[in-house]
Amino acid sequence: MKLLDIKSEKYTLKNGMEVILYNNNSFPLVAVNIWYKVGSAQEEKGKTGLAHLFEHMMFQGSENVPKEMHFKFIQEAGGTLNGSTSFDRTNYFEKLPSNELELALWLESDRMGFLLNSLDQEKLENQKSVVYNERLERYDNQPYGLAWELLISNLYNEGHPYSWATIGYLNDIKNYELDDVKNFFKKYYSSNNASLVVAGDFEAGKVKELISKYFESITANSEVKNISIKNEQLKSSKKIIHEDSVQLERIYLAWHSVKAFEKDDAELDILSDILAGSKNSRLHKKLVHELEIAQDIYAMQFSGKYAGHFMIVATAKPKKSLDEINKVINDELDLIINEGISSKELKKSKNGIKSGFIFSLQNLDSLADHLNLYNFYFGRPNSFMFDLERYNAVNEIDVMQVAAKYLKANCVDLRIVPKGKNGN
Amino acid sequence: MEIRRNKRPKTGVETKFSLPKFKKYFLKNGSEIYTVKKTDLPIIKITFIINSGSKFDPKNKNGVSNLTGMCIDEGSGKYNALQLADEFDFLGAQFSIQSDSDITVLSLQVLTENFDAAFELLSFVILLPHFNENDFQREKRKVQTRIEQLKDAPDYIANSAFEYFLFGKAHPYAFPVIGISESIKEIEISNLKNFYKGFFKSRNTSIVAVGNFDDNKLLKKVENVFENWDNGEKISTQNLNGNKNKQKIYVVNKQDSVQTEIRLGHNSSKRDELDYFQKHILNLILGGQFSSRLNLNLREKHGYTYGIRSQFNYYKDDAYFSVSTSVSTENTAAAVNEILTELNKIRDGITDEELTFAKSSISRRFPLNFETYSQIASNIASKIIHNLPDDYFQKYLTNILNIKIEEVNSAAFKSIIPESALVVLCGDEKKINEQLSSLNLGDVVSVDYEQIYSE
Repeated sequence: MKLLDIKSEKYTLKNGMEVILYNNNSFPLVAVNIWYKVGSAQEEKGKTGLAHLFEHMMFQGSENVPKEMHFKFIQEAGGTLNGSTSFDRTNYFEKLPSNELELALWLESDRMGFLLNSLDQEKLENQKSVVYNERLERYDNQPYGLAWELLISNLYNEGHPYSWATIGYLNDIKNYELDDVKNFFKKYYSSNNASLVVAGDFEAGKVKELISKYFESITANSEVKNISIKNEQLKSSKKIIHEDSVQLERIYLAWHSVKAFEKDDAELDILSDILAGSKNSRLHKKLVHELEIAQDIYAMQFSGKYAGHFMIVATAKPKKSLDEINKVINDELDLIINEGISSKELKKSKNGIKSGFIFSLQNLDSLADHLNLYNFYFGRPNSFMFDLERYNAVNEIDVMQVAAKYLKANCVDLRIVPKGKNGN
Repeated sequence: MEIRRNKRPKTGVETKFSLPKFKKYFLKNGSEIYTVKKTDLPIIKITFIINSGSKFDPKNKNGVSNLTGMCIDEGSGKYNALQLADEFDFLGAQFSIQSDSDITVLSLQVLTENFDAAFELLSFVILLPHFNENDFQREKRKVQTRIEQLKDAPDYIANSAFEYFLFGKAHPYAFPVIGISESIKEIEISNLKNFYKGFFKSRNTSIVAVGNFDDNKLLKKVENVFENWDNGEKISTQNLNGNKNKQKIYVVNKQDSVQTEIRLGHNSSKRDELDYFQKHILNLILGGQFSSRLNLNLREKHGYTYGIRSQFNYYKDDAYFSVSTSVSTENTAAAVNEILTELNKIRDGITDEELTFAKSSISRRFPLNFETYSQIASNIASKIIHNLPDDYFQKYLTNILNIKIEEVNSAAFKSIIPESALVVLCGDEKKINEQLSSLNLGDVVSVDYEQIYSE
């Protein structure tokens, strides 16, 4: 499909920073998107959440940018900005009127090259407190907010980099020292561990010159080594019951699966859609529509650079049992494994995925982030078509086979129940 | 290239932005339709805005509007609920129905090649809903369960309690769109049918379409499909503004909460009144973005919260000003105190520098609001809902840039009234009450979160 052929140019600066340019002058906006190849997977025991805390520190000003001014400059220019942290990477992005490209490059380069001298104890203590509150607001004080942490810490083996949540444990958040933060920066926030995307409306003849102006003089640190991972299977299935202040019981089932873009990853995505991605998907139809024993149902293939898992989540209707829901889910999986799926189901999923790819092109931020994502995994930013083809290539038998291969293995069965209900 | 890092780089030459142009037509059946031509992608976005929000719910039957929206696609035309969903999905279309206090919005995003088929499905939903008893009962049970579930969410409790206490129970905006447990019990299918008959009318509907189409062809298509739709009349709106509050604190008890959700605010003048732009600038400075006074104080200085914002909330027939945040329990009183300090402070006026920042931020941000198909459609929708003039977007920048500091200061003085603020604190009552005596804020009323609507 011509539409998904997002032609970009890629090159590498002497200091190792990768640059990806995608020029489209149809709208006077430009997006700047930087990926640092560091996420919570690189953290150590006792220092969980440091990658995410660091994302906050990056907005606290740098040598030439006073605290609070990073946001202010971008907002005054009419731009939007943010950052996010996952297991595998931390990204920073802004979208601005195209005549402010240089502002974004200045700000990003200043915090890449000149952050350390401006970091101090006061800023750290302030952001520790903000992140502490972020954790309370988004996890501890949310219904079912601790489920993710419980799930991954039970699914992945002890010490596995995906076994703790990106936000970090409360105790670790309280205890970061200034040196932890500084060392983290020195180790990972280096030009040779970063890739920069500039997408949208810019002068093709001028952009490279601007990028070298701001980034070329930043010196690279020593090379970041890949972490070595031991992906262990579950020795047996685990059942965990956790009490929370919730009204309705919820079940989380999780199985080990495959890494992002690995063989079977797209097949599992399609399987999740056929199970729970739409109103007439198999589990939604059974559990929510016909039997009315679940209020909602959700399935996904979660995949990252180092590992992946498949999960199914369902909330029980009042007074309905999770055991019954669990049984329906497993019966349905057996049905798929034994009898397969229809070609209509498969086509429906594929049509939705294809539309989704095209809808996603509307937003320059999301496009820029995808260029970085594809570069991170394949070294080739223009992989939209390749990605879509992964889904187009899936057939009915493939979906049946991945269900059999991954979802009959040992699993984590986590149940969040109302307080005082443990032992149901 | 020479580099001076200690200076902000200069802004480049002015960018050229051409505002998407919309055309407005009236169909023979009385609906108004706005079209915008956008050709960069093979996408069509079409939205039906029906003047039928929860403010029209019959007395003691809060939730009828929302349930009607949930039921019209549970079987329509020649399809049952699951078949209909399947048909949309097979076309790769994104279709949704959302109800709020003022309107019901049916929205369809689809690849151009599948538009005709998807539009036919959309027309079934609007013209030919089945309203089967079984489907209705199932959706009603879903709503009851959802209401139970929402009681777990402290932010939802705080928001809905705040609106209930602010507006008072006789007010059409007092109750949540979804309804409350007691009111859902009272709803029967005949209520939905009547609501549908009363509000789903061509003259009570506006349509917005964005995409690569020929206006004449599109108009003809919509006209044909909706030729026999019952016209009805445009339902007129009410004038509700005018409630005045006295300062009062409600503590909504949610034991074991590790944070307190804070809502603080009071009634305000409506969207269509003359000081909208002044208040917009004012709010941007006070709590409308990251570098606002409130966020810099409560987050970046004190570390009480992950984030805080203020806003003027505009319903069609009423409005209020509010500050919302969530803070660790031990900082509840200190946070309320800092919020009030900032509200009092801004009544003394803003600085020239703040005004320049706000004008620059709003005006230069303007093009970004028209990037996607959905953004364009939703901008036009908000123009429709608030009865804004057709040249609203053309004049927007001039309106913002012409504002003088005295006008913002006078808006601050008139529209921010800390001494009549209603405060809702949702969290651990015991730990909150220990701190409240230090605040001296007038009456404190404690309610359990299960009992809000019996107040």
